[in-house]
Amino acid sequence: MRRFLPDVMLLAAAAIFPYSVARIFLDTPIERTMGTAFKIFFFHVPMGWLCMLMALVCGIAAGIELRRRSTTASAVALAAAEIGFVCGLGVLLTGPIWGNATWGKPWTGDARQMSTALLWLILAAYLLIRHYGPENSRRLAAALAIFGAVDVPIIYYAVKLWKTTHPTTEVVGSLPPALWASLWPGLGALVLCTLGLMGIRIRQLLIAEELDDAWVRLADRRG
Amino acid sequence: MEALSAEPAAAAQAPDNTPDEYAPVAGRSLAEVEQVRQLESIAAQKAARDYQHIIWAYGILWALFAAYGIFLWRRSARLRADMSDLRRELGGREGR
Repeated sequence: MRRFLPDVMLLAAAAIFPYSVARIFLDTPIERTMGTAFKIFFFHVPMGWLCMLMALVCGIAAGIELRRRSTTASAVALAAAEIGFVCGLGVLLTGPIWGNATWGKPWTGDARQMSTALLWLILAAYLLIRHYGPENSRRLAAALAIFGAVDVPIIYYAVKLWKTTHPTTEVVGSLPPALWASLWPGLGALVLCTLGLMGIRIRQLLIAEELDDAWVRLADRRG
Repeated sequence: MEALSAEPAAAAQAPDNTPDEYAPVAGRSLAEVEQVRQLESIAAQKAARDYQHIIWAYGILWALFAAYGIFLWRRSARLRADMSDLRRELGGREGR
């Protein structure tokens, strides 16, 4: 059952996505000032949350990897970084589209945008080191992942600490129940989708590690 | 008794013009007011039918996930090929 859990999650996400989109476009009223562009919110914000969550998971797993030299922690860190990178790219691309529609400017350079862009760059650097760096560069990559995790609270509190074009964190909490009812399915589908993809990627990385070991053992026996 | 004494005080603080009362527009001609209304109407219609931004945003999100899905699928194919190579090597070795 555990083996099929990621596939079950992806199937559940595929089932919820059409309902979520139908709810957002057919049942959710158009916002008065932002108009139709407000509907970007229903995936932009959950993607931002998931990007931050994945950066935290990556940082924690990288810390465990540094301390215990665990292969599983290493795989979790890399998978989380990849998903965080994808979600971060989604946030950084949909944000300016929404900003262009509502603020009249795609990029205002406010603290939340800058700290999110910084997190995305850290994740990109982490992935580059993990994929193309030499074997002993894993410690450097892990340290970078921990820096990424430190950036997460900065992103969250950026709207409270500095004057930003983004609204404060209380706005999402104060949404009317009708909007929450449209936000939940999208969030659920995205969470299931990302966890399913992450599960598949972790399994791939562990299998790849075992295959590498098997090839090395085979070469040793031959040598 | 307290409520009775509070009433006149509240009435004294109320503004002269309540929102329901007629208040003429000052400093703008009728043509200007009409022009502003037309512009506001155009902006409202544009905001209500702004499908271009939505299509781009949702298209990008799904394209990203699809691209990552393809990346995982290709990785799986490569792993399967690697595993069958290893099996072949082991089978050949055992056969020798």
